[in-house]
This record gives sequence, structure tokens and C-alpha cells, in this order.
Amino acid sequence: MEILKYTLRKLAGGIPLLLGVTLVSFVLMVYFGPDKTWELLSKNPTAEEIAQVRSQLGYDQPFWVRYGNYLRELATLEFGYSDSTGERVTTILQRTVPVTLALLAPGFVLGIVLGIALGLLAAWHRGGWIDRAVTGLAVVGMSVSFLVVIIAFQLLFGVVLGWFPVRGWNVHDLPSYLHYVTVPTLASVFVALGYNTRFFRAVLVEEMARDHVRTARAFGASPVEILRKNVLMNAMIPIVTRTMFSIPLVVISGSLLIESYFGIPGVGKVTYDAITSGDQPVLKAVIGLTAVMFVGILIVNDILYKFFDPRISLGRTALQ
Amino acid sequence: MSLPVHDINPGADARLQPVRRPGGISPWSRAFDRLIGDRPAMAGLAIVTVFFVIALGVWFGWWGGKWAETGDGQWLPPSPEHWLGTTILGQDIFARAIFSTRTAFEIGLVVAAASTLLGALFGALSGYFAHTAIDGLVLWLKGVLDSIPFYLFVAAIAFALDGNPWAMHIAMIATFWTTTARLVRGEVIKLKSLEFVEAARAIGLHPLVILFRHIVPNTLHILLVQATIVFVAAIKSEVILSFLGLGVQDGVSWGLMIAESTSEVIAGHYMNFIAASGFLFALVMGFNLFADGLQDALDPKRSGR
Amino acid sequence: MSNNDALLEVENLCVEFGDRRGAVRAVDRISFEVEPGRTLGIVGESGCGKSTTSLAIMGLLPRPAGRITAGAIRLSGTELAGLPENRMRRIRGAEMSMIFQEPMTALNPVYTIGAQMSAVVRRHAGLSRRAARRRALEMLERVGIPLAQRRLAEYPHELSGGMRQRVMIAMALSCRPRLLIADEPTTALDVTTQAQVLEQIKALQRDFDTAVVLITHDLGVVAETCDEVVVMYCGRMVERAPVEALFSAPRHRYTEGLIQAIPKIRTRRLTRLPVVPGSVPDLSELPPGCCFAARCAHADTHCLRRQPALERMGPSRVACFHPADAEPVR
Repeated sequence: MEILKYTLRKLAGGIPLLLGVTLVSFVLMVYFGPDKTWELLSKNPTAEEIAQVRSQLGYDQPFWVRYGNYLRELATLEFGYSDSTGERVTTILQRTVPVTLALLAPGFVLGIVLGIALGLLAAWHRGGWIDRAVTGLAVVGMSVSFLVVIIAFQLLFGVVLGWFPVRGWNVHDLPSYLHYVTVPTLASVFVALGYNTRFFRAVLVEEMARDHVRTARAFGASPVEILRKNVLMNAMIPIVTRTMFSIPLVVISGSLLIESYFGIPGVGKVTYDAITSGDQPVLKAVIGLTAVMFVGILIVNDILYKFFDPRISLGRTALQ
Repeated sequence: MSLPVHDINPGADARLQPVRRPGGISPWSRAFDRLIGDRPAMAGLAIVTVFFVIALGVWFGWWGGKWAETGDGQWLPPSPEHWLGTTILGQDIFARAIFSTRTAFEIGLVVAAASTLLGALFGALSGYFAHTAIDGLVLWLKGVLDSIPFYLFVAAIAFALDGNPWAMHIAMIATFWTTTARLVRGEVIKLKSLEFVEAARAIGLHPLVILFRHIVPNTLHILLVQATIVFVAAIKSEVILSFLGLGVQDGVSWGLMIAESTSEVIAGHYMNFIAASGFLFALVMGFNLFADGLQDALDPKRSGR
Repeated sequence: MSNNDALLEVENLCVEFGDRRGAVRAVDRISFEVEPGRTLGIVGESGCGKSTTSLAIMGLLPRPAGRITAGAIRLSGTELAGLPENRMRRIRGAEMSMIFQEPMTALNPVYTIGAQMSAVVRRHAGLSRRAARRRALEMLERVGIPLAQRRLAEYPHELSGGMRQRVMIAMALSCRPRLLIADEPTTALDVTTQAQVLEQIKALQRDFDTAVVLITHDLGVVAETCDEVVVMYCGRMVERAPVEALFSAPRHRYTEGLIQAIPKIRTRRLTRLPVVPGSVPDLSELPPGCCFAARCAHADTHCLRRQPALERMGPSRVACFHPADAEPVR
């Protein structure tokens, strides 16, 4: 009950953010966006024909009315039809979102888990050679471009070694899933690991320095117990926050590169095609839904805080 | 009137120790000493300096000018004449990679300078007028920009500006200022309750004078570090945006070279890819090492080393 | 000077901090013994090495910066310095325990009191979950925590500072350790709570015949609780004496200064308290001679050049060339 009330209050708080995101995307993509009048007209149109098409497209309406229409589309999940394929945008999303999730989930989870593991290792040996090796490798990892990693991995595993497919997504059972998901997963883990390790190391090093860690040692706790109960459990808030806020980033930006490069029919590929062909209904839907996802994540994140830290009560959660 | 800069470190230490150490060593010179002693950071600075000289040379026309010239031999292997071989059009890959260094610095410097200025401005206003409408507006704007996926935002700006070659820069500046602003806001909130600000207020200085003459200069350490981080982010983003067709419109860049190479590597022509990604990696790595050392030097508590 | 009755023997202990670029000797040739049921106080200003000494005994020096470079630490005859970490772990919390200065931050904020206390007992005494819970409850009641049953399910932030320190004491003594090291256990508490907490420690010490090493800068606390006192200055032991002797006839000029600086209640007029002038020298730039010489009214050139050795003077031992009352007043 408390959680429900809290969620509703948070949802209300998310409204300005949603309005802002939709306003920006509306202004940039619709209001100042490409004028589609001429695409719908025959050659040498008359002034009347032009006016008719413009009113059909709603171009003659005032700014706020058009923005209102845009919001209504978003609220009813009615984004219209893709400019390039003519398919309903909702149908496209229904088909592609599961592919993207299946493609990215393993890499995302592995990137976080390995990052935490390496962060713990480095934090425990802080200042020693293990720490220096881990942080050094993290900086190297951070310095490699995602695109370069994708190209190199595809080349290595797909072309030179020939172990995995170069392109496509022909998944029908577990072996074929593993066959197609491995190289993209390796690439996304490689790219995420540098940043994740560095971030988690910094967080965990801070927790390692707490008084209660010293207390635990003074009472004979083992390293594993200390790392789990004193370090990790106390670092859950930054860990959860980072994980949660990486989700939209990975789902949109990560999938964009991986899917377009490996030719995998997910949201990222659809978005990429929409960017290159200027397919506005699709882009509007993706931007709008990402904003909704962000607000949702804000709320879930705050509820998770409560779960991980007994000192936080939902009534007065302050999100940084 | 010049007030002590950055020496005020609130907390127990500040109460127990004199603000000025005997001998008058300023925090900046202490940070400088730490930075000089940091070998990885110095190595990073050396790498960045080499690249900067390369970029300057291109500006002055000393080298890299022949990047667009097509020659007879296509896909030539590396030779004394063409150090890294040639492209399908017979262009010298080394010259193209060299010229792209200038492109990278142009993007990095423009984006880093503009987004740092913007971040300082918005962060300072929002921190000084914390919990007022100004602060609310800045935070709202930051929240909005943070929740739009970056590549889509660039695409949207590119649409709105109808293929303007600055669309990429504008989009980067518009998104990268938010982190700087958040950090500056926090620091300004901390600084504005300190004595020297109280003193400035007591002698009746205008709030904006206090803010921009006396408070903002004390956030310089944040701005410096952020500028280096944004520089790296900008040149890394350029590569991906150019691959997506949203990046550099004319000239040549590492991103365009890598984008070209995506179809070439399958056919076994690696030089374009190796050259561009190698240059990119070296510069980004150099900057990362330097940024790391800079951060540690300015805030020794940070990494606990 | 080996003492067969002693539970803890510390002999010529040296601790250094630092790396290749340079080391600082934070503890310099400290020796003392504690017998079961007795309390040794270690006194000194902050930074004099008293906490470092206690961390060295517990094997908790911050790694890799801090290390024991010389000397011995024996707990009932077992050499602790250089003992492998996994053996140390079995001793810590079981045979010797430590309580810290900051009760507010010394407990893990995300686990309940009960969970943290049971973990210690289960680890060392191998008790079942339920038996551990019972032991925790019993210990909480013993240190005088009201509604102990309910406290077990509470988180540290729900308890006051004094309450938390009592939880720490309960936890520290839950495995009946033979040695308890208390590092400024009352400094962070208000005065009434201080007295109660000290009383708790004393009561439990009597019950379990525990030896206590009490680290403090508060001579009032020393007078009330300790049997013997070590005075430290700049990592060195400047005086070591039975508590009565220390207060009635302080020998070292530093000790003398410390005792004169204690406020006396029955002074007829308000007078300025004497203070020990000057401040503690930097450990990395210690003078060649007596480290207190720069602040000492009795110092001469000899004191600046040579380091005094610890010498017996009545019941006390003192490292001073011009100890108090060494000769009749001139």
C-alpha cells in the first residue's frame, strides 16, 4: 500500500520530465522536422492540393494543437505507420523488442557481474599490483571504441576463426541462440567492462574504508564474508542505480550499433534504419517510449533503495 | 579584490589546521607536484602532446595535406612511400589518419570548451539559486536531456538542422554539459556557505558578481577534469556517429575511415581500420591516463591511492 | 622482563608506515604486559601511536602501508606478530576482541543487531542459529540494554550512541575473550553515558576475568579504571607506572604536564589551566634527541642530542634525563 501510494506520487513527479522529453522530440523532429508535403503530392501541384495535403498532415494547425496530438499518439500508443515499410509502428516494436532483449540481456548481466567481481578484487587488494593491473586494464578497455570492438570481434570470430555467424539472427532453439548471441555478447561485455570495473572499484574502495569493515575484521570475519556483507551489501545503492540507469542506454544505444552491424532485426536496427531514412513515426515512438522507460526506472530505482537500505524510508527518498 | 581560492576544505581538518600551510604552498602547486609525480599521467600527457603537435602541423599545412589526393595504386601495402598503404582510391592512409587528428581535435576542443562553459554557467546558476525556480528549470532541462538517448538526439538535431555539418557538435554540446553542471552545482552549494562568500555578500557585492567572480573560479578543478572527460567522449562519439551517417559531413575523420573499413575488412583490407582505430585508441588512452592523473592530483582522496 | 602470569606480552614493538619513498616509525620499541583481570591504560595525545599499537596487536594494521618491523606480541605465549591471517582470524573476536571509538559507524548499517551479534558467536563458538540468538540476547541483557529482545531485530541507526557502544561491548565479550582492547570507547559519548559504559566494561571484566587494554587520552578515565599506565609520546613510551604512582608522583615532564592540565573541581578561584605548550612534532621529522624536548621547560642541550632510555625510578619507569623529583627542589 505504501509502495502503491509512493509509486503514484512518483509517477506524478515524472510528468514534467515526460512533457519535457516529448516537447523536445516534438520540436526537433516534428515541428522543425522534414516537411513531408512534397512526398505526398503529384508533380506540379496546385495551391489547393498543397493546402489540402498540409491540412491532412496537420501542418496548418497551431503549435500547441500539434503537440497535443503528438501527446495523444504517445498516450494511446498509436504512433501510426512507418514511412518506409508502411507497417504499423506498434507491430514493429512488438516484433523487435523481444529480439533486442534476448540479444542484450546476457552481455548486460555479464558486464555488470564481472565488473563487480573485478571491482571487489581490486578494492580488496587496493594499492597492490592486482589493483594496479585491474585499473590499468580498465583504462585500456575504456579507450577502445565500441565500433572498433564490434568490427574486430566480428572479423576474428566470424571471418578469421569462422566459429560464429557474421550476420543475422536465425534463432529457434537454445543452441542457435547461443550461436548467434555469443559474439555480440563478447563485444558488449568488453566495452562495458572497463567503465563498469572502474566505477564499481571506486564505489567498493570507499566502502572498504568504512569503520564497520574494520569491526568485522576485528571480530574474525573472513574476506569473503566481509566483501559480501560489509562491502557489497553496503554498496548496493550505487550499484543498483548504475545498473538501472544503464538499461535505457544499452537498450537503445547499444542495440543500435550491435544490431545494425550484425544485421539483427531488433529495435536498434529498426531505429538505425529510421535514422538513415528519416522515418519519423518510428523515431517518435522510440524516443517517447524511452522517456517513459526512464521515468519507470526512476521509480523502480527508488523502491529498490528502500529494499537495500533499512535507513531509507519511502516517504523522504531523495534521488541525487 | 582577490579572495583565497579553493584552499577552504570544510570538515575537521580545516578547523584544526591553518588554512594556509607554512611556506605558502597553494593547493594548485601541490596538485601540480602530484601530477608531475604521476608517471601514467605524464605518459598520457606526452601522447596527447604528440597528437596535438600533429594536429597543429595539419592546421599550418606542414603535413597531411595530401589526404584527398588519389593515386594510381589501390590497396598498396605499407611501403616507404605510403607508410600505411593506400585505400581503394589510391589515397595515402597515413596522410588520412594524420589529417583526421586535426578533425578529432577540432571536435574535441569545440565540444569540450562549449559544454564546459555551458555546464559552468547552468551549474553555477542552479547551485547559487538552489531550490528556486531557476534551479528547478535547470534540473528539469538536465533531466530531459539525460533521458533522451544520445544517438536519437543527434538524429533529431540533424533533422531539425537539415543536414547542417554542425548538427553533431550542437547535439554533443547540448547533452554533455549536464554532468558538468551537476558537479558544479554541488560545489557551488558547498562554497556559497563559506566565509569568503559571506564576506563578499556583507560588503554588498552583486550576487552575480559574487557568483562568477568569486565562486565559479573556485570550481576550476572540476571544470578542468570535466573538460578532459568531455574531450574523450566527443572524439569517441564522433566515430560512432560517423558510422551512423550523423557525424563528420566533409573532410575525413577516424570515424569515417572506420565506417569505410567495415566493408573492407571482410575482403581482407585491414590498413584503413588498423590506422584509424590505432590512432583513435592512442589518443583516447593518452587522454584517459591524463584525466585520471589530473583527477587524482586535484582530489587525492578520490582513488585512495 | 618476561612475566609468566602475563596474558599479553608486548616486547619492543616497532610499527612503520610508508612505502619505498620513505617510512615513518609510528610505534617505537613499546613493551608492556597485562595480566588476566587487570587493566592497562595507554595514554597520549592523538597521533602518538596508541591506536596503532592496538591495531598491531589485533593484526589489523592497514595494508600494505603499515607493518610490524620488530618486536614480539605474545598472547598466552603464542606469538601473534607474523601469524598467518587465517590463524589470526580464529583468534580475533574469540580470544581477543576490540571495541572502537566510533559507535555510530562501527556497526554494519544494513544488518540487524541480532544478525551481527549471532554471526560472531556462530563463527567462533560454532553455535546453532538459535543458540547464537540466545547468546546474543543474553549478552545484550548483561550490558543493560532494555527491551533486548526487540533490539535484536533493530538496525544500528535505530539505536543511540551509548546503546550502540554497549552492543559493541556485548558483541566483543560474547565469545568470552581473554583480552579486550578498547580504543577510546567513551570518547564519542556524552558524560553520563561514558560512566555507564566504563562501568559495564569493568563489570564484565570481573565476571570473565578478562585482561583489558584501554586506549584513551582522558586521564580521568585512566584514574578510574586502570591498574597500570603507559604514557606514549611520538610513538615512544615515555613513562610506565602503576596508576597510583603515576598520579601521585608523575616522573616524566610530559606526564606531569598532562596531569596538571586536568581540571580540579575544588579550586577556590578560577585559574587558567596550565597547558602543555607547543604541539606534537611531525613523525617524519623527529628530532635526534628526546622527542619532547622542544616543548619541555627542563630540556637542555643534552636532551636535544641524546635519546633517553627507559629507566626504573621507584615503581615507575621513565625515559627522561631530568625526571620530576629526581633531586631535592633547588
